[in-house]
Amino acid sequence: MVKNIVVLGGNSHPKLVESVCSILGIPACNRILGRFECGESRCEIKDSVRGKDVYIIQTGFGGNGAKLNDHFMDLCIMISACKTGSARRVTAVLPLFPYSRQPDIPYNKAGAPLFKGNPEGGKQDYTFDSVPATPGPGQQKGAAFPSGPELTNRLLKMTVNGKTNPDGYFPTNGVNGTNGVNGVNGVNGVNGTNGANGTHRSSASVSSQPGSFTTHDYENLSLVSAFQAKPGYKQWVAQAGTLVANLLTCAGADHVITMDLHDPQVQGFFDVPVDNLYGRPLLKRYIMQNVPNYKDAVIISPDAGGAKRATAIADSMGVDFALIHKERRPTKITERQNASMMLVGDVSERICILIDDIVDTGNTITRAAKLLKNEGASKIYALVTHGVFSGDAISRISASALDKVVVTNSVPQHEHKAKLGSKLDVLDISPIFAEAIRRVHHGESISVLFNYD
Amino acid sequence: MSAEMANEIKLISGRSHPELSDKIAKRLGIEVARTISLNYSNQETSFTVGESVRDEDVFVIQSTATGDVNEGLMELLIIISACRTASARRITAVIPNFPYARQDKKDKSRAPISARLVANMLQTAGANHIVTVDLHASQIQGFFSVPVDNLYAEPSFLRYIRENFTSDECVIVSPDAGGAKRATSIADHLNTAFALIHKERPRPNVVGRMVLVGNVDDKIAILVDDMADTCGTLAKAAAVLKENGAKSVLALVTHGILSGGAIETLNNSVLTALVVTNTVPLGDKLERCPKIKVIDISPTIAEAIRRTHNGESVSYLFTHAPV
Repeated sequence: MVKNIVVLGGNSHPKLVESVCSILGIPACNRILGRFECGESRCEIKDSVRGKDVYIIQTGFGGNGAKLNDHFMDLCIMISACKTGSARRVTAVLPLFPYSRQPDIPYNKAGAPLFKGNPEGGKQDYTFDSVPATPGPGQQKGAAFPSGPELTNRLLKMTVNGKTNPDGYFPTNGVNGTNGVNGVNGVNGVNGTNGANGTHRSSASVSSQPGSFTTHDYENLSLVSAFQAKPGYKQWVAQAGTLVANLLTCAGADHVITMDLHDPQVQGFFDVPVDNLYGRPLLKRYIMQNVPNYKDAVIISPDAGGAKRATAIADSMGVDFALIHKERRPTKITERQNASMMLVGDVSERICILIDDIVDTGNTITRAAKLLKNEGASKIYALVTHGVFSGDAISRISASALDKVVVTNSVPQHEHKAKLGSKLDVLDISPIFAEAIRRVHHGESISVLFNYD
Repeated sequence: MSAEMANEIKLISGRSHPELSDKIAKRLGIEVARTISLNYSNQETSFTVGESVRDEDVFVIQSTATGDVNEGLMELLIIISACRTASARRITAVIPNFPYARQDKKDKSRAPISARLVANMLQTAGANHIVTVDLHASQIQGFFSVPVDNLYAEPSFLRYIRENFTSDECVIVSPDAGGAKRATSIADHLNTAFALIHKERPRPNVVGRMVLVGNVDDKIAILVDDMADTCGTLAKAAAVLKENGAKSVLALVTHGILSGGAIETLNNSVLTALVVTNTVPLGDKLERCPKIKVIDISPTIAEAIRRTHNGESVSYLFTHAPV
């Protein structure tokens, strides 16, 4: 029994909230959390939080009738409501941190860059006489807008249907009049040949298709493939991790507890303390208890980025380690689809244990499994902390060479379990989070949670 | 060549209301920037801008769609943050219908003031300036520490009324006491009569009868409000006005949110027309309800963008609607 503590659950993972509360021996905070018909979140906290230590559990996973962004906004609103309700301290508990993976280019379901992109594409149009896309001092970039009373006069002269449009400043019939922008291209001398106006228009409206709220980026591939960066410019992709961190702090979070951050650097995005718990002890215990002859198995990292994570487990258990390397250089080998993946290490006739932090579309681990099978692995396990299983991950995994997939319940797993059956094992993380909450509340060290065995 | 001339307007459109962005772009004689927003299969939003915004004057247009408010808001925040990290000189969020505007006070214990949260989030993401239309409560401007330009649909409404009715045949009606100020302002400009509908509350949380204060007999009653959500109040008010002898009843509303069963309520009501601006994407609602008429607000927004960019006064737009 812990006093003066309030555990408030979001809608994303009610089961985790329930079991954390039962371990702590307190009831979950009574609240109303839903959505108005217009789509705005509705939140009312029924129990008093004045002077209390509040823990809000919301995982970064879209489900239970709401989208990921809905859950995130709910979290921010709950934090803010507790703050305005005079809570002493508000801790955001995010078992899976949303937007923690920050691809530098949009990726498709195969993990490859979504757009062809032509950072080099414009180069062939350059000549010695070309002027750089960014004008130097003294050069005008585009037609400047008329300003001041002159324009007001012009506006007043025009009538509703634009029939009297004396000097045609505002185009009335479409894009023909967009000379201001064309001027820019003329200066560039970059894309003078490719019918600038037409292509611009079609690509500019990529983001402007009505009803383009999709949950799968590859559902409207035609839209995506129509997108092209301006010649000579590499696309700039939003990196939302810092933003999410700032939004949580701005909503009023005093402390953040999360697990197995994809990039540990995300901790540095916060000005408030972040406790990054590890799923590693759980995974290790699973290996020791469930993998026969685990001393002879090989721990494998499916990509170079996760090598550190995998070696940490391999070292502490004294198990061999191997690495799969994604070849990004263009190869001429086309007979096998996974020719671009290379295995470093020996796996023949051995049990392979893939270690990763997130399985999302499942592409990486299923391709890795295929490669391992080709290399003669006898049995393949995949141990992953966060099992998001989005898109067609479930069907891909059931069809893959993986013998067993082990995930934690950092996101709700009952649906995945129902579909994957005995192929999926779920480890319970609620004791770790309950213990972390208890220790943070009492001001005890939680570092013991980082390395207990 | 002064330094100010070197930067241009970059118009970036979110996914919620592309039609409005296109209209604004056309009006300004520029093109919407090349961007793409999409949701990954794990539902995270991704945004890519395909041209340089370095040192440019960026305007992000996002009008949160009914039912997808949080999705639109997060996309807006991500776009703003991406532009900031891409070294934009100034980022203006153009949010015609400000989300969570009705959650603006702590009316119950531990009720969230979500409007303030949204204001803080926008500033945290990196917005330097906000342009919006008919805020539910103008005090929301005080939640920001950056400038907020609250444009009015009133000039557009005034023009609509002048073009369609004569001032002595109509009465401006406020559907509740809170909107009296908005309605009287229109009545004063048109020099027409004014009436008010008062909701009696015999006990807390029980809506009693609606009482009309003023005379609408044999007149065209024009209800004026800032948003039409479920349309329950509007339909009831229209019925009351009809009982009191109004010749016909129409409603002028800035934000046509029209959620839930609003369309059915409208179709079954005695309202002859609901006039809204296009601040909120209406989707197929126009086909489902022939009573809805739309006034285009994009000239006002476009002119506000142009004036903001050129550093001119915007106050002209509070009383005049560009045509």
